[in-house]
Amino acid sequence: MAGSGTAHMRNTVDSVLTVRDLTVEFRVAKDKIVKAVSGLSFDVVRGETLAIVGESGCGKTTLARAVLQLPPPNAGEVVLNGTDLTLLPKENLRSARTSMQMIFQDPISSLDPRMTVHQLIDEPLEIWDRGNRAERDERINKLLQSVGLEPELVLNRRSYEFSGGQCQRISIARALALDPRMLICDEPVSALDVSIQAQILNLLLHMKETFGLTMVFISHDLAVVKAISTRVMVMYLGKICEVAPPDVLYAKPAHHYTRALLNSVPIPDPTKQIRTELLQGEPPSPMNPPSGCRFRTRCVGASALCAEQEPQLREVSPGQFVACHHPIV
Amino acid sequence: MLKFKELSKPTQLCVLWIGLMLFLAVFGSFLPFEHWTFVYEDDLGVTPFSPGHILGTDNNGYDLLTSAIAGTRMSIFIAITAVGLGGLIGSALGITAAFVRGKVDLVLSTAFNVGLAIPNLVLALALVSVLASNVDMTVVVPIWRRVMVLIISLTIVLIPILGRIARGATLTWSGREFVTAARSMGMRDSQIIKKHIVPNVLPALIAVAFLAIGVVIIAEASLSLLGVGIPDGGSWGGMIARGRNDLEYSPHVLYIPVIFLAITVVSTNQIGEVLRNKLDGREAKV
Amino acid sequence: MSSLLSVKNMTVNFDTPRGSLEAVRNVDIEIPAGTSVGIVGESGSGKTVMCRAAMGLLQGSTVSRTGTVVFDGHELTAMTKEQVRELFGSGMAMIFQDPLTALNPVRRIGVQLSEGLRIRLGMSKSDAMARSKELLELVRIPNAAAVLKSFPYQLSGGMRQRVMIAIAIACNPKLLFADEPTTALDVTVQAQILQLLRELREDLKMSMVLVTHDLGVVAGNTDYVAVMYAGEVVEYAPTAKLFADMRMPYTEALLNSIPRVDHKPGTALTVIAGRLPDPTNRPSGCGFAPRCKYVQEKCHKEHPNLKTDPDGHVYRCWFPIGEAL
Repeated sequence: MAGSGTAHMRNTVDSVLTVRDLTVEFRVAKDKIVKAVSGLSFDVVRGETLAIVGESGCGKTTLARAVLQLPPPNAGEVVLNGTDLTLLPKENLRSARTSMQMIFQDPISSLDPRMTVHQLIDEPLEIWDRGNRAERDERINKLLQSVGLEPELVLNRRSYEFSGGQCQRISIARALALDPRMLICDEPVSALDVSIQAQILNLLLHMKETFGLTMVFISHDLAVVKAISTRVMVMYLGKICEVAPPDVLYAKPAHHYTRALLNSVPIPDPTKQIRTELLQGEPPSPMNPPSGCRFRTRCVGASALCAEQEPQLREVSPGQFVACHHPIV
Repeated sequence: MLKFKELSKPTQLCVLWIGLMLFLAVFGSFLPFEHWTFVYEDDLGVTPFSPGHILGTDNNGYDLLTSAIAGTRMSIFIAITAVGLGGLIGSALGITAAFVRGKVDLVLSTAFNVGLAIPNLVLALALVSVLASNVDMTVVVPIWRRVMVLIISLTIVLIPILGRIARGATLTWSGREFVTAARSMGMRDSQIIKKHIVPNVLPALIAVAFLAIGVVIIAEASLSLLGVGIPDGGSWGGMIARGRNDLEYSPHVLYIPVIFLAITVVSTNQIGEVLRNKLDGREAKV
Repeated sequence: MSSLLSVKNMTVNFDTPRGSLEAVRNVDIEIPAGTSVGIVGESGSGKTVMCRAAMGLLQGSTVSRTGTVVFDGHELTAMTKEQVRELFGSGMAMIFQDPLTALNPVRRIGVQLSEGLRIRLGMSKSDAMARSKELLELVRIPNAAAVLKSFPYQLSGGMRQRVMIAIAIACNPKLLFADEPTTALDVTVQAQILQLLRELREDLKMSMVLVTHDLGVVAGNTDYVAVMYAGEVVEYAPTAKLFADMRMPYTEALLNSIPRVDHKPGTALTVIAGRLPDPTNRPSGCGFAPRCKYVQEKCHKEHPNLKTDPDGHVYRCWFPIGEAL
């Protein structure tokens, strides 16, 4: 993985978001640089849900924030609806951001504890002066209803009075207040109980249809992504491993890392337990990533070539792109 | 918010005492007493609970109750003004430092640390003796100038203390995801500070401000005792300074202002502590 | 088979400003020696409270516990706090969901690990350090010597959980309570930790109670499963039997809400509508009735008792799955 390359880019007029050669690095000490995202490219086509999957520390959250310019990346382009956000002056960026909203992992920390639900959802409408008081109140009620909350019961309560699942519903209502075209969900369900996860995933699917959204969905769990995505991108240490539609990726993963990720998902059936090819150890430090393919240190199929040369993304079956010298056939 | 009835008995007493002190500070001069500088020539050094002088008089014939009320006005005025100014300037600097980060933060944090490294009393002492004294020793420095200088020097002492607390709290809160969320909704930084940072940082600052009021009252008293504060019994510290000479013959002259001062400081500390616990509890819920 | 831990008719009440909260009621659970038992339920189902109450870890004037708990021949409910404390470490040990808050942030791993050994087993300082290193190697921590000198914040979540496990197994406990040990971790690390727990159980002949909200986690890691709902056990069976022949509609609903990699993509998730009943005001009938798709008149009115099939499968339902109405 480690792979670079742009073979998977579709470059169509339908692209809502196109990211090219995005690089994000942080200086943590005098000569220690964390290479969080290294020259990564992808595009998201209208109506699509792109899932970005990888372990903690693979750079997926950093990537999402860099797309939103929070903070801006060190290099690369982020083209949203034909505009490169990295070149926009601050004031234009502020308004460009409204067409791309984010849902965060920690539902409680993403809501100001001092504000009532009404204030929370009114906030974006107020910033952009959308309608008068009555129109805004009506919109807030509609948004709350659409995420399955009773406006009369919740409007005057504060975030700490709600469960994680309910907070996530409030976050979704708030994110949709400005009618964004794109929603970036950063691990929106990983802090929730399994039974609540399903509710939020179904809600997101429903919202996507109702509001005609294009989505980027970030997760560490391939199972969560399966029900919701139309394209899956697997990341490791700031690079892409594999990009494929879900029906191909889950049935025939081509990258060793994808297969290892699939094997780690617990299966609620005692007769179908997979105990082979589990990943051992932890990812190496992003301050000093391995040469060549970044996954080679934990890969069962690694060869000498993997240390020397960085694999490039290539198409191994229709729509399935993999950055590996020795893909699983 | 906190309800008076839910507070513990001691805390209720503290709140009542502070209420009384505020009342005396504001309305003390309208009470039907002689002016505190009035000298009762027939009642010198009368002990407390004497007829006409509940708290007694000192050896110069000043009534201690009216003196204490006047002292309340001065001490509370100085404390609240200094803490208010220090809090305002300190939190503005602290919040700016933490929100802007980078070089601004480096400069301001270093300034705070330098400020904290200088002993408070020495700094105040130096400022007062430079600013509030005349070259010509025979010309009396007007009292308002002494008060202003005292307030300014106490404010300078408080800025780094409160500034650092504001900076720390801002760092915590601005790392929360709701700040990122607000940014992604297109909120301006100035609005983020106004709507998300200040309201969350304020409660912590208010709790510390109560503690600071106690510290300032004591600092003012110490300066008066050292002879650079409010002269001639105009504040609690001034009363202590004047009364210490008579400790042997009329100890109550010293005890009265000390008791006022002590109960007030204990009360502000207690209220500050209760506020802080209350806020910690809310934090734990979040 | 003898029971290592046997909980009989346990009820736990909390006094809250809103009234008495019955977090656990009339729970019976047996942990046979040498087995692993999963306790599954949503947040608020009482699974964590049940375990902590069984261990005698809930204290204070606002908590009351009734029923009996027998561990390895000792009746814990009849013992003093001090006597129960003697059993911690060598008898029972516990690991938690969030290892970062369970470890002291300002003390090195080696100090925290060896401290227990010195107090409990009276080891010398150098012996305890050497044993600590062995323990870290036992939980498959690479470079154990360096980890001994680290502080908790320098380790990843997975490493911290391994350290917690090392602390828990330091005195060879007979029973390990694992309270959501992998919930805060990535799936890949979760798989590693679960594998480690399986291996340690074999090697140390240790029994385990695995508390989780995820039926997927118990499927491959337990011998028995108890499903809890609203403070009660609603189904209890050997793991293989439970998954093959579910009787309780709640267990089925919980299973169907799990996103799975072994199903076709695009398979819709079924959601359990509604939420747990208010624990201060439980309904008179079955607590799951308002959310159950098989609900009947009777379910709203009468509280179902536990039924036991001839094969030992226990469930709490008037109209179990697989039985004609």
